[in-house]
Amino acid sequence: MKVLIIEDEKTLAYEVAAFLRKAFYVCDMAHTFKDALEMLGINQYDFILIDLGLPDGDGLKIVEQTKKTNPEAACIILTARGNLEDKVIGLDLGADDYLAKPFYLLELQSRMQAVARRKFNITEDLLTLGEFNIDLQKRLVIHPQAKIELSKKEFDLLSYLLLNKNRVLTRIQLSEHIWGTFADDDYDSNYIDAHIKNIRKKLNVFGTTDWLETVRGVGYRIKNK
Amino acid sequence: MKLSTKLILFITGSKFAVVLLFVLCLPFLVQKIASEYTNYSLREQQKKVIKNVEKNGVDYYLQGEKNFGSYTMLKEEYISIEQSQFYNHIDTIKNAQRVFADNDTLNYRILSYTFINGNRPYLLEIGKATSSINQYNKPLQRFALYILIALIALTVVIDLVFTRILIKPLAKIISTKLLHRKFPFRKQLEKVKTSTTDFNYLDESLISLMNKVNEAFVKEKEFTANASHELMTPISILQSKMENLMADEPMSEEVTFRIMGMMKTLDRLKKISSSLLLISRIENEQFIKNNTVKPLQLIQEIVEEIGHRLRTQNISIEINISSSAMLKNVNYDLLFQLFYNLINNAIKFNVPNGSIFISDKELENKCYEIEIRDTGIGIAKDQIPFVFDRFSRTNATETTGHGLGLAIVKSIAIYHQLEINVESEMNKGTTFRVVFPY
Repeated sequence: MKVLIIEDEKTLAYEVAAFLRKAFYVCDMAHTFKDALEMLGINQYDFILIDLGLPDGDGLKIVEQTKKTNPEAACIILTARGNLEDKVIGLDLGADDYLAKPFYLLELQSRMQAVARRKFNITEDLLTLGEFNIDLQKRLVIHPQAKIELSKKEFDLLSYLLLNKNRVLTRIQLSEHIWGTFADDDYDSNYIDAHIKNIRKKLNVFGTTDWLETVRGVGYRIKNK
Repeated sequence: MKLSTKLILFITGSKFAVVLLFVLCLPFLVQKIASEYTNYSLREQQKKVIKNVEKNGVDYYLQGEKNFGSYTMLKEEYISIEQSQFYNHIDTIKNAQRVFADNDTLNYRILSYTFINGNRPYLLEIGKATSSINQYNKPLQRFALYILIALIALTVVIDLVFTRILIKPLAKIISTKLLHRKFPFRKQLEKVKTSTTDFNYLDESLISLMNKVNEAFVKEKEFTANASHELMTPISILQSKMENLMADEPMSEEVTFRIMGMMKTLDRLKKISSSLLLISRIENEQFIKNNTVKPLQLIQEIVEEIGHRLRTQNISIEINISSSAMLKNVNYDLLFQLFYNLINNAIKFNVPNGSIFISDKELENKCYEIEIRDTGIGIAKDQIPFVFDRFSRTNATETTGHGLGLAIVKSIAIYHQLEINVESEMNKGTTFRVVFPY
């Protein structure tokens, strides 16, 4: 997958690129409005990550432009403006998603995956975890003996871990994914632990959950071959 | 007392003082004028007589006799000319008594004057009865008094009207510049039209003061918005760097812990910044109030969102909200945030196995109230006035939050014109009441 990162903060652009390259994305970078338009004129991209606050132009115009010249590409708006209006306008112009700065790279990658699944019809709806099958579409955990019901948050947590399997997810990343940025003013919540405990309790009735690892002091990881 | 009332009282008072003085002096004045006038007319008569004598000789009056005397019918005036034995000159006007043959005694004002005619001295006397001099004093005084009272009444009425007109701009300045003003002042102030320079000065000073207040307020808001906004990019960069660092395996456990600690601190910084940004966005009215919200549904959604926290501390929650209640022209997300923060606090500052009660009612003035009561640790009485202040942490511990939760609540309440009341007792619990206007 080819990604164009349009971001005037070079350091941030490099970090995003470094993270995505590890996940085998091919990344190009543009730091100005002009460069971005130029690169969009030359290359075709699968993903375009657009910072709205560029020094020499409005990122929203790039979104508009891309929809004409590069309609296959998926646009994700990244902005520190955090303005509801921008979000509405951006999505109206055809952007596929919207992320307010500061965001976790993990969250960005997950959103990209979600957009890709939707856009490029990649269906891997049934995932296997030990003795369990996870149906992402119907939001179900299926065991040969029974269908196990998880609460909405519990399922969100499990599927997020699953989509980022073999990677340690910190409690902060997990709680931000599930509860968003500012709904919560607790820094150090152990609520993630409570949810994980519940998931394990519900699944352990039917089989082992040793694929769900606790990484001491950091967070959790799903290990899957 | 109002300025116009004071002015009128002062003007009227000073007028009455002047009138009183005048009324007291009036008898003397009138008498003085009467006596001056009498002297004057006596002199005029004297001139006439002397002129006649010079023209026609003294015999014109004496008719050959030694003396001449003439009284008017009621003895109010008389004139007499008689030969004098003395050559010394007399020229006086005096009051004197005259006794008549019928024992009638009368007071006269008498002009005595000697003149020489045909080498003989003569004494001329012209008298006027004092009673006749003073007979007009009383009516004159009364008349003067009436005119004076009428004049005063007239001027007081004119003063009343005029001061009203004069003072009017002041009332207008006060009502347009100071009262009926909602902070922050968004509307451009208009000058009050007046020709009084003092009022113009006051008006201009107030306008410039208000503009300064406004400017300071806007600047403060801008600063908060800009500062928190500008912090977002460096936070973003730091956060990404740490995330990339964490992904670089393998790492020793100690390093991992340290990075985790940094991430937690950064997360705290991020939450403070985004909370400040949220407050400034609410204050800048960047949210649209066009949702209709059912409070029961709203509270249920929040409780579902936050339910895991209730369970971890084994806190029971009782919701008693009418299913028909509706809130119109509100912003759903902001109200969600408001009640989320209040309920979150009710959990956070509760005791294990405690309770939370959420209920609603319609007040007597038809306002709608939602009450959130907890059985928590309570707020100290001296801290209650400050709970809504930014960064005021009444129960400051590591885990209670960044101290902006209630500041957000307050700004949302102000934006929606809601009233929020707090009642609390230490170790008994806290009650928050949110009152929606009718």
